Amino acid sequence: MPALSLPRSFRPGLTLGGLIDGRGFDTLLVMTALGYLAVFSAWPLVYNLIMSLQEVDLFSLASFDRPFVGLGNYRDVLGAPEMPQIFRNTAVFVAASVSLQLAIGFALALFFELRFPGASFLRGLFLAGWIMPPLVVGAIWSWILAGDFGVLNYALKSLGIIDENIFWLSDPARSLWSVIIANIWLGVPFNLILLSVGLAGIPEDLYEAAEMDGATRVQRFFTITLPLMRAQLGAVISLGTIFTLQQFDLFAGLTQGGPSNSSNVMQYWSWQLSFQEYQIGLGSVISVLMIGVVVGLAAIYVRSTRHEQVY
Amino acid sequence: MDRLKGNALMLAGALLAAIYLFPLYWMYVTALKSGTEIMAYPPSFWPADPTPIFGEVWGRLQMASYLKNSVLIAGGTTALVVLFGTGCAYAMSRVKSVWIDIALFAVLMMQVLPSSLMVTPIFVFFNQIGLMDWPRGAVILAQAAKMLPLYIVLVRAAFLQVPAELEEAALVDGNSRVGAFLSIMVPLARNGILVTGVLVFLQSFGEYVYARSMIGARELQPATVGLQSFMGPNSSDWSGVMSYAAIYVTPVLAIFVLLQRRIVSGLTSGALK
Repeated sequence: MPALSLPRSFRPGLTLGGLIDGRGFDTLLVMTALGYLAVFSAWPLVYNLIMSLQEVDLFSLASFDRPFVGLGNYRDVLGAPEMPQIFRNTAVFVAASVSLQLAIGFALALFFELRFPGASFLRGLFLAGWIMPPLVVGAIWSWILAGDFGVLNYALKSLGIIDENIFWLSDPARSLWSVIIANIWLGVPFNLILLSVGLAGIPEDLYEAAEMDGATRVQRFFTITLPLMRAQLGAVISLGTIFTLQQFDLFAGLTQGGPSNSSNVMQYWSWQLSFQEYQIGLGSVISVLMIGVVVGLAAIYVRSTRHEQVY
Repeated sequence: MDRLKGNALMLAGALLAAIYLFPLYWMYVTALKSGTEIMAYPPSFWPADPTPIFGEVWGRLQMASYLKNSVLIAGGTTALVVLFGTGCAYAMSRVKSVWIDIALFAVLMMQVLPSSLMVTPIFVFFNQIGLMDWPRGAVILAQAAKMLPLYIVLVRAAFLQVPAELEEAALVDGNSRVGAFLSIMVPLARNGILVTGVLVFLQSFGEYVYARSMIGARELQPATVGLQSFMGPNSSDWSGVMSYAAIYVTPVLAIFVLLQRRIVSGLTSGALK
């Protein structure tokens, strides 16, 4: 066991007494949790990598001696006819969700920062969306977006924006957007709150000084707010991307990736291959690749925040 | 700010919140509508003839069983996470060393692993060691691994706020490390522990991916999986679906209203520190 250097240790040593009382106590506490994560998170990661190089299906599922196929699974997945479309969908899903969540969340944060009576209470109401089970959110939106009786089509028609009902969930040109709309709804509260925290941290006198110098509202936004919010904006963009790549339940609740993959994304495809087509080797290939992307993003994010002594 | 402007802004803020919360309102209104009113055009925004079918949906869909399993999974996950995570969060808040930095980095990386991608290796792994004979237990173990990093990060932030002097004083007074941890540190960080525990519970109460992939028997499935199978491909029983959803999420929303302020401050401190 690596000796952790512990400043506040009172009885040194890794004896039994030391584990309970001395510096070993901290080691024991950390190692128990890390041990759990090693078994149930880290080992599956390694196992995933191994399976992605094997042929794993229903027959070889329980066996430990599975045929090794090298990079064959990777070739199969990357060469699959649906791959380009699903990859493109994933990129659109992430880019549209993150940018629109950010735009709406930032606008709302700026609005509630005007500090009118009841502002913090009203802002708090937005968090209800955050706590909802995403699958239920998917169910509610699939009713709102329904083609014939959906209330969104009614609202858009009343406002004169559309003439014909849009079949959000079954029209291949719209299905991905129906999931994006629901995902934006889920993501706005998170953006709103994190950006509000950042806005509240900007010293008031900066604005007062700029106002005295004759800076307009717009100028103040671009010269004070935006530069001082850079770290916060970076945080919500990276975390928003990570959360969006985790999104699964909305796809299950709304479109199941259909019709004909028009709303399918990598993380849902991986699950379909493993649990609906039982091509587990192929499912784990996508899993390996996407986990690489997510962890890479998270590593960049954590490293960039470390300089500012946050986290 | 003059009064008029303040009131106008308040009105605008209320309108924005109302627009945002419309989906929740629509869930409740739809649940109360009769079958014919649901298909009416234009849709009514207030049920003309409220016909609550909560009792009927509860019985017909065996919601008692689904919700019991959801509570069981959420409770089991929360217990495991609190048990394994609290001490780790404490030690990580007290000890400064390069090893702890590395461990914290590893924890942060494990926090972002998506369930939908982890479920493939976890399923095969659990299947091989025979855990699939206890599918709910398997979901609890997997979900706890998903929630544990988040819990450690947030509760560590809570422990960081407790002054180290209090613990040192307890040790000087003759407390053991375990005693000081349990009788001084945990009570002082209880707010953070409580809020994070509730958060872990609520997240696990709405868990879907693991349960859908690992629990085959209907009587063992949680409410998310039940809702999904009820919706089916061509279901048009929207008042039934929305009644189910309303029964399921009303307790969640109630807990949220009660703890809203604490949840917000707990989450923001953890996410930014």
